Amino acid sequence: MITMILRRLAFLPITLLLIYTITLALAWAVPGNPLENPDKRPKPEVIAQMNKQYNLDSFPKFYISYLDRATGVHYARDWMSGRLADDTARAAQAGFPPPARPVFDFGPSLQYDDLTVNEIIGSSLPVSMTLGIAAIFIAVVVGTTVGIIGATKPNSMADHASLVVAMVGISLPSFVIGTAALLVFSVWLGWFPVAQWGTVRSMVLPSVTLSLPFTAYIARLTRMGMIDVLGADFIRTARAKGASERSVLLKHALKNAFLPVLSFLGPATAMAMTGSFVIERVFTVPGIGQHFVNAVQNKDLSLIMGVVLVFATMLIVFNLAVDVLYRWIDPRIV
Amino acid sequence: MNRLLIPVVLLGLLVIASVVTDRPKPKADFTFANLSEVNTLDPQRMSWMHDLRVARLLYEGLVINDVLSDDFGIEPGVAESWSVSDDATTYTFNLRKDAKWSNGQPVTAEDFRYSWRRAMLPDLVSDYVKLFMLIEGAQAFYDWRALALDEFADRTFESSSDRAQAGEQLYQETIIKFDAMVKMIAYDEHTLVIKLDHPVPYFLDLCAFAVFSPVYEPLVSQYERPDPVTARLVRRPGWTKGGTLISNGPYELTGWRFKRDMRLEMNPHYWNRDQLAMRTIAIPSITDPNAAVLAYQTGALDWIADNTAAYRGDMVAAKLEFLEENHDKVRELEAQGLDQFSIDRALPADPRAHTHAVSSFGTYFYNFNCSPRLTDGRENPFADARVRRAFAMCLDKQSIADEIRRLGEPVASTLIPPGSIGGYVSPKGLKNISQAKNPEERQGILDEARALLAEANFPEDFVVTLSFNKDSGHDLIGQAIAKSWQKNLGIQTSLVQKELKIFKEDLKDHQFMTARAGWFGDYGDPTTFLDINHSEDGNNDRAYNNPAFDKLLRQAGLELDSEKRMSLLSEAERILVEEDLPLVPIFHYATIYMFDPHKVTGLSTHPRTKQNVFLVDVLDDDIGPNEPKPMHPGKGGTP
Repeated sequence: MITMILRRLAFLPITLLLIYTITLALAWAVPGNPLENPDKRPKPEVIAQMNKQYNLDSFPKFYISYLDRATGVHYARDWMSGRLADDTARAAQAGFPPPARPVFDFGPSLQYDDLTVNEIIGSSLPVSMTLGIAAIFIAVVVGTTVGIIGATKPNSMADHASLVVAMVGISLPSFVIGTAALLVFSVWLGWFPVAQWGTVRSMVLPSVTLSLPFTAYIARLTRMGMIDVLGADFIRTARAKGASERSVLLKHALKNAFLPVLSFLGPATAMAMTGSFVIERVFTVPGIGQHFVNAVQNKDLSLIMGVVLVFATMLIVFNLAVDVLYRWIDPRIV
Repeated sequence: MNRLLIPVVLLGLLVIASVVTDRPKPKADFTFANLSEVNTLDPQRMSWMHDLRVARLLYEGLVINDVLSDDFGIEPGVAESWSVSDDATTYTFNLRKDAKWSNGQPVTAEDFRYSWRRAMLPDLVSDYVKLFMLIEGAQAFYDWRALALDEFADRTFESSSDRAQAGEQLYQETIIKFDAMVKMIAYDEHTLVIKLDHPVPYFLDLCAFAVFSPVYEPLVSQYERPDPVTARLVRRPGWTKGGTLISNGPYELTGWRFKRDMRLEMNPHYWNRDQLAMRTIAIPSITDPNAAVLAYQTGALDWIADNTAAYRGDMVAAKLEFLEENHDKVRELEAQGLDQFSIDRALPADPRAHTHAVSSFGTYFYNFNCSPRLTDGRENPFADARVRRAFAMCLDKQSIADEIRRLGEPVASTLIPPGSIGGYVSPKGLKNISQAKNPEERQGILDEARALLAEANFPEDFVVTLSFNKDSGHDLIGQAIAKSWQKNLGIQTSLVQKELKIFKEDLKDHQFMTARAGWFGDYGDPTTFLDINHSEDGNNDRAYNNPAFDKLLRQAGLELDSEKRMSLLSEAERILVEEDLPLVPIFHYATIYMFDPHKVTGLSTHPRTKQNVFLVDVLDDDIGPNEPKPMHPGKGGTP
């Protein structure tokens, strides 16, 4: 297992370099200039100066300079030449904290001038992770419960009701559910705040809305798995030996029925944790999902590359984690 | 089974842990939605309206606009008085001694020199660099630095440390060059003399523009050093953070959490702090218009600075209904000369009255490509002004404003919103079917337009394309225009919908026949609109080129007499909107505000749509005079 993990991790930089090259080439081809306010164009000479300043005048220049900073080579160079120490000394002399210099520097955002991509990701990724974890938590708890109820009494009212809810969860787009939830629970009932991320109350609506499609899917997966397993011989044996119904369901059946859910959880967690553009917009959540869309629209190359590299890393790591978990739960898988 | 529970429990603990560490702040005295995340708080780099709105809270320029006056007059800011030389090129500003940075240090003439110098550096990439070039020597200085940087890039050095050192030297040399070349002189700490390249009658209005605000050199210079390889000044972000930023305006930045909120507190060292009626201001980042309206309805917001919700037309309609219900009272108040917000305040409280359509300093129009040939090589019929006039006459503007926009926006006959610039008389504009009072008159205009087309030999079977980007209802407006042209001129049309970036690129490259466009003015002078039609202007998407028009702009630039100058500019606009029609003005924009008129005062109804938010007073709180602030007549004598 250790060798498997090491081998997969060794491939990570190669995969990332490939992703970097392809994404940058695609993003570079998007028309427009990220530095221009398109409604108020400065003179061409000024634009030429802007492009030079941010290495936007040539693809290889940008490709290399970005890689130089993102991989920490630039930091190492400034550290060796003493420039870092010099900056710190100068700032200290003036009585101010020195400019932040991360080792892996994704550079300043081209759209949000006052922030580095590191800061943007650093502030938005934890938000999305929190929201994503909460949503997956809700989805697992609610989804499995609903699935078990459905499986124990197939074709009962409760089963049909859960099927309807699941279908709604899967098919209704989240901006509809989200806006409706805001209107009912925030504006009419006043239970939850609008557009105020940071408290437990403010997290309820977005995490529930985000969890809906996952809940629905997990419920269906659990129900199918349970119905399958409940007909198996070992369940009959368990019942025959006098095990309680509770123990039969939770101990004997669920353990087996849960495996497909687990394999779904890997990519689902990665997806939920990297944010959702729609949920973030509707509920004003300062997550990372919006940057995937906005950065491309604004052609903010530094930000595009930053979020793509982070997302790729997360996806690879989560898939690896699920594989590891799988082997741990079910030793038959090699 | 227990093994399975472990991850679930861990997840639950993580959720709890992350929530416990995050607490909301108490409600601010005034909370408003800016509707876009601030792009930058570096005044010299700004160009977006939502950035400038915040900048006017944080920074104070030499002078400020009296936004609550009819003429948007100039009032003292950091400069308590100023004088202008007889040839109208030399301005002497006397800075007040009690103007302070938020750390208590005095604001000096040198601070303005440093800040404006930043804007003149090609490597700082200021969007509004053009406005600084009005100062004598600034253009030469910019060009010198740009050339020096280009030459530096080609130079070879023995070692990288030599190169880095030479870059530092070049920057020192640049500062010396600035002192020698640019006519911005600090006679002493409190006297700043600025010599302009030529008379600029709106120069004081520019000094009130937030891009001309000062920044605090000891802080900002820490973040700007020449790059060791290219010698270009590298601007490191960081000095605009809450708690770090030092500013000289009414408020200081105490917190800025990206995509969450911004918090401002009264600057304890601001010279005019006694006039402020809010201790704290919160600006939550709400980018979704629906969420903003919902947040407003829950009471979380006091003001939405730009309501762009898709259903805002219905909200405006509800407001009109409310005004209609109070018809007699409204007429009576209007007769007293009250402004729009004061009228609302005098009427009974009603949630419908919280929507306000305020006329804006911008115009929606359609561009005609004036190049002799189209991109496919065909001859361009729109190169002929008669064709453009005919198309402009037959465009049904009224139905677009009334049925598509539904925001009560006035139909436009001119590019510059009439009444927005003191002392400027707008031309009448070309006749249009929307203005026809009866069917005969309408028919007369149609006949005239068809005659113009015939005269210009407009090719039969020619398909006119209309380009627009797909969002914000531009498609509906495009369809309405196409329909008017089809019906009224009997020509064929084709609609071309493009993605925003591609649309903008195509405009720049003149790859269109007719295309939707809009323009918002930056400063209080007709040139802020007219300049975009100058043959050499970077925003002349129309490829319009009329030497007579260019000449009028040039003459106006040299004219010292303000009245004569305004009439020259008025004549230039007349050529534009009555004769040449490189563009058809359709309507003047309105901005939709949401606020309770019985609760909030201090916002301006002036069509320049520039708000000095520090004037706001929340009427039912315990700070400030809690007196309504109506619009007042200007003191006269526009600068």
